Amino acid sequence: MTKKRKRQEDFQKVKLKVGKKKPKLENATDTTFKTKTIQIPEQLKEDGMLPTQNRKLNIKDLLSQMHHYSAGVKQNALLGLKELLSQYPFIVDAHLSSIVSEVAAVFTDKDSGVRGAAVQLLQFLASKVRAEQIAPFFPLVSAHLSSAMTHISEGIQEDSLKVLDVLLEQYPALLTDRSSILLKNFVELISHQQLSKRMKSREKLSWMLSVNPNRRVTSQQWRLNVLTRLKKFLQAVVDGSSDLEAEGLQDPKESPNSVRNAVCVTWKALANDQQHVQLYGDGGLRPKINSSFRLRSLTSVTDSTEKGLSSAENLKSFIEIIIPLLIECWIEASPAQSAPILGNLLEAESQQLMQQVLSIIHLLWKLTKRHDETCKMELWLRMNYLVDFKHHFMRHFPYSLQETVKHKKKDSCKGNKYCMSSSNNVDHLLLNLTLCDIMVSLASASTLQTDSGWLDMIRKFVTDTLQDGSRLNSKQVNRLLDVTWRLMQIQQNKVATEPLIKAVFTLYQQRNLAFPVRTLLLKFFSKVYQKEDLRTQRIRSRSKVLSRWLAGLPQQLALLGTKNPELSNQLIDIIHSAASRSNKELLQNLQATADRIYDPLDGTLVLLPAETQRRLVQLVYFLPGLPAGLLACLSRCCIMGRMSAELAATLIGILHMRSSFAGWKCQVQDNSVNDVDYFSFLFSTLIGFSREELMSLQGIRGKPHISQTQLSPVCLYLTDLDQFLHHWAVTEMICHSLSTIPSQSQCFDILQTGICKYLVGLVVIPDSTAGSVLCAINKLLDQACIVNENLHKFLASCCYSLLYFLLTLDKEDAEHVQKRELLWGSCVSALALLPRLLRLLLQGLRGSRLCRDELPVVAQLLRLLMQHAPLRSHMVTNELLVQQIIKDIMTLKSGDVQEQWLTDLHYCFNIYLASHSQGPGPVNTVY
Amino acid sequence: MAAPMEVALVSDAAGPLCNCAVWELHSGSALPGYRGGNSGPRALALLGGEHLLGAQLGKSYINVWELQRKDQLQQKIVCPGPVTCLAASPNGLYVLAGIAESIYLWEVSNGNLLAILNRHYQDLTCLCFTDDSSHFLSGAKDCLALVWNLYSVLQAEPSQIPDPRHVWSRHSLPITDLCCGFGGPLARAATASLDQTAKLWEVSSGELLLSVLFDVGIMSVTLDLSEYHMFCGGMDGSIFQVDLCAWPVQRDRSFQTERENGKVFKGHRNQVTCLSVSTDGSLLLSGSHDETVRLWDIQSKQCLKTMNHKGPVTNAFIVLAPANMFNPDGKPSVPLPKFSKHLHGTESSDEQGSNGVTLRLGLHQQVVAPSGPCRSAGRATWRRRRRCTHRCTPRGKR
Repeated sequence: MTKKRKRQEDFQKVKLKVGKKKPKLENATDTTFKTKTIQIPEQLKEDGMLPTQNRKLNIKDLLSQMHHYSAGVKQNALLGLKELLSQYPFIVDAHLSSIVSEVAAVFTDKDSGVRGAAVQLLQFLASKVRAEQIAPFFPLVSAHLSSAMTHISEGIQEDSLKVLDVLLEQYPALLTDRSSILLKNFVELISHQQLSKRMKSREKLSWMLSVNPNRRVTSQQWRLNVLTRLKKFLQAVVDGSSDLEAEGLQDPKESPNSVRNAVCVTWKALANDQQHVQLYGDGGLRPKINSSFRLRSLTSVTDSTEKGLSSAENLKSFIEIIIPLLIECWIEASPAQSAPILGNLLEAESQQLMQQVLSIIHLLWKLTKRHDETCKMELWLRMNYLVDFKHHFMRHFPYSLQETVKHKKKDSCKGNKYCMSSSNNVDHLLLNLTLCDIMVSLASASTLQTDSGWLDMIRKFVTDTLQDGSRLNSKQVNRLLDVTWRLMQIQQNKVATEPLIKAVFTLYQQRNLAFPVRTLLLKFFSKVYQKEDLRTQRIRSRSKVLSRWLAGLPQQLALLGTKNPELSNQLIDIIHSAASRSNKELLQNLQATADRIYDPLDGTLVLLPAETQRRLVQLVYFLPGLPAGLLACLSRCCIMGRMSAELAATLIGILHMRSSFAGWKCQVQDNSVNDVDYFSFLFSTLIGFSREELMSLQGIRGKPHISQTQLSPVCLYLTDLDQFLHHWAVTEMICHSLSTIPSQSQCFDILQTGICKYLVGLVVIPDSTAGSVLCAINKLLDQACIVNENLHKFLASCCYSLLYFLLTLDKEDAEHVQKRELLWGSCVSALALLPRLLRLLLQGLRGSRLCRDELPVVAQLLRLLMQHAPLRSHMVTNELLVQQIIKDIMTLKSGDVQEQWLTDLHYCFNIYLASHSQGPGPVNTVY
Repeated sequence: MAAPMEVALVSDAAGPLCNCAVWELHSGSALPGYRGGNSGPRALALLGGEHLLGAQLGKSYINVWELQRKDQLQQKIVCPGPVTCLAASPNGLYVLAGIAESIYLWEVSNGNLLAILNRHYQDLTCLCFTDDSSHFLSGAKDCLALVWNLYSVLQAEPSQIPDPRHVWSRHSLPITDLCCGFGGPLARAATASLDQTAKLWEVSSGELLLSVLFDVGIMSVTLDLSEYHMFCGGMDGSIFQVDLCAWPVQRDRSFQTERENGKVFKGHRNQVTCLSVSTDGSLLLSGSHDETVRLWDIQSKQCLKTMNHKGPVTNAFIVLAPANMFNPDGKPSVPLPKFSKHLHGTESSDEQGSNGVTLRLGLHQQVVAPSGPCRSAGRATWRRRRRCTHRCTPRGKR
């Protein structure tokens, strides 16, 4: 029965009726949801795929597109590559070799758009890739470059120069390594070999300028383009080998060779074991950093290492090829050709061309000088080219300013664009000067007779330019001074050199010269001076203008102030070297301006930075005389803290050396430093405050600045910590200077008189001064000295005031706590040294003057004095006095409460003094 | 007297009673001193183990003693001016004297004045030879130290001024002392200056090797024989020891309360003017303006002995005693000739032509140094300058 019912439940029939909704099935799908679209702009890239640029092309795609036949695809690929690399810089490192080889390959592409894109990409790459990284691929790049330069199509040739520009900008050193090929390419760009029979017979290839009518630009313009690049290239060659000897206006002192290996240490670092000197660690063989040795030459592919400009022979052969070409260019551009009447009028373009020609020759000259050890090269150059140069270059020599101005005016009506390019790029003065430089280096002392004609012309030009040269820029001045120097070298007699120096001096006297110009002039003068100094031993013929320049230097230094510390530094250098050579005029002028230079308020010394101050302080040694006024200035400089304490110590040491106490007794001393002045210098530096300052201190009262006590007439002015420390450092040096003076007792007498005269009677005394006085007395005192009563009293009150100040010092007062050690030490040792001082001090504590507030302090002081071992024997002699003071304290103290400090005092007294009669045994056991 | 004995020679500026005191270094026993006059600073020199030269302080003559006759001044060499420093070459052939701003060079064998060198601009302060007598160094108040090659100085034409091989111009205040190490032209030389530095240079290349900046001016400098340490005497009386060869491992001396104590000799109260190290490198002799000479143990930096003098000490140095010093019978093999006051070859050229011939070998090889502006001092090639000179007299006159 039950079974049956169950079965019925399982298979119950669902009855569906019309009009009623059909019940939902249990497994029915709910279809009420809505959809939305998701946009994915980029694919996920982490699954081993390479990054791509906008157009979803990765590096491989782009590189393979470079071989596409269509120019448009290639151009797009290059642009895409640039975009990709700027987005993902790391790709550059990974794929540099393939990128470089592909990009280099399209330098010679037929389509100009592709080449343009390639140059753009190269520019981008060059800014990202360092020279070392690209060095291994550079043979490839340069091979493609030279194939582009020698390409038959003019467009490719033109664009190759752009590539060259980029490479010269970023990798000059790499490019100059392969100079042999490139130089030949340059020559081929503007000329072709002449193959006529006549030339062949000489077995030398001769080159001629070529004219190609197919070019878009005129052949002159084209030559200008090429020559500009050639000049840039040669400039890179000249700059690249910078380890060559100091040339031109550089000092031999500054040559890097001697500085490289020196170890400079300070004694402090050595003494504290912070630094060690290891002079022989590597057996004295230091690896030369500038070693040029390489196992495998990078340029070995073409075996061109010997062919570059590095050897004299190659340079010579290159000069043989290029100079005739340059002369031809010059002739074409030269004014004689175009407008014979208006001699010197120059077209902008031809002017540029001329400038390039001259700069190239100038650079070549520079290079030859490097290989020229025996002047052979110079002779050779002179022999071959002097006539040509004279004929072509010097014929219209001063290419003057007037013409150019006229020219400019003419241009200005033509339109702005053209005018800009013409007037800005060409510096006619530089052109003239370069020409001078080239010509002058062909002359030498031996050929003076034959060259006098054109040399005079140059000399006149140089002199004129110098005399109205207020608006010269530093580049022009540099060139100008080079020429001047060379002229002076050629003709060394005074008649010839004096006008030149005078002209330079006229320029130097101009008011508002730019700093680099001024520096150049200074360097020039100091070089002339040094050169002259070498000769003067035999023939004393000094140039008057030069002496005038030298004599004016101290004045300039004083006037300069803080305006230009760098310039001041240079001036000081020159003054120092002249002073150390005891140049009379300079020393006189230095002496005359010393007051202004060493003025404590606004003198050069206190205004300049520390390193320069050092040089100025050393200059004091060379001053011929040190009068009282100057010493007073120097003393103020030491005190005022605008000079570091070390420097002040140096100054005191230097003055000590100049004084009559440092030398040998019998030796004849130049009595430039009066002993009296020297002593007053020492004394006022020891005091550390001027009389006016001390006077103004007298009025100050009140807690934060003044420490005051009832028991002593002297109040202490509390100095700032750094002032205190500075004063203390100076004091130590002064004390040493005083202690090395032979007769100590006389020295002490002088000090005593000074103190009595200037300090005794003052109410407020700075704490550092009081400490310094005690310190000096400790150092100087010996048995022979007699201390007078006045000084005793003064010292006793100073001592008490100092001790009181130290004992009442707030423990948390960080500023004053540091003084404690120093002051305590000097007080205590003065007390130990002068028994009478201790007695006076104790007598002052006695009796009715004790006031109640000070009692704990006095008790503490007594306790400390008793505990101090070196004082103990003196305290024992004053036992009665101490006993009396303690009694006084007992009577004065208020209340019956036995306070801690009183207990301590009693205890100490009993231990140290009272028990003394029984023997010193227990005293020792206490400690 | 079999073993070589080290003696200290000390002179002070005080009195003529005892110009130069001599004492045995290790025992401290005083030996008879040399009497007469007093010697100026850095102006006492042993010449060839037979004579002692001492320039009189502030006067223009040089006192000469024969080493064995201590009580008696043998001769006086009169000079053109007060002698500020003096040096004798270790081989005993030449004598150098600094007189005002020039260096005078005499040949000992015949007393000729061979050269007067005017390259300094102010008074000379010190002169010193390298140990093989091939070079000499000079320092002066114009802050320059010059290195000269002796032979190129001798070789130079009378008309042209010989160039020094190196010009060291990195000091900024007067040079106070020079010390040349061991090794002839390859030696290292130390210079001290008032500008608070001591510098170590290489003679061969002229390069600066080391510069140490101190807190006080440096008045004297010396190197020990192995050149492990440089000792610098300061203006304040301390002597600083600079280790030139610091070992990477600190093996000993772990407890030192104050580090600086390990490197400073303290005791003098005034500037230290002379320093000298014994040959075994264990003792340091120092003389000072405080009128004392002290002998120090270098290892422990303790003062072993203090000798009081009556004036500032002008010279103090340690030498291996020459045999003649103790042998009363020993005599110089050749008596010292009269030193000439005038430059040899200019004033007496006719006389010289008659009794002597000067050979200059390799004169034709001389290359005239280019006088161009770009010759840097550091690069002077010294091989070119080294030529040999033979001065000889004809065997017999016919």
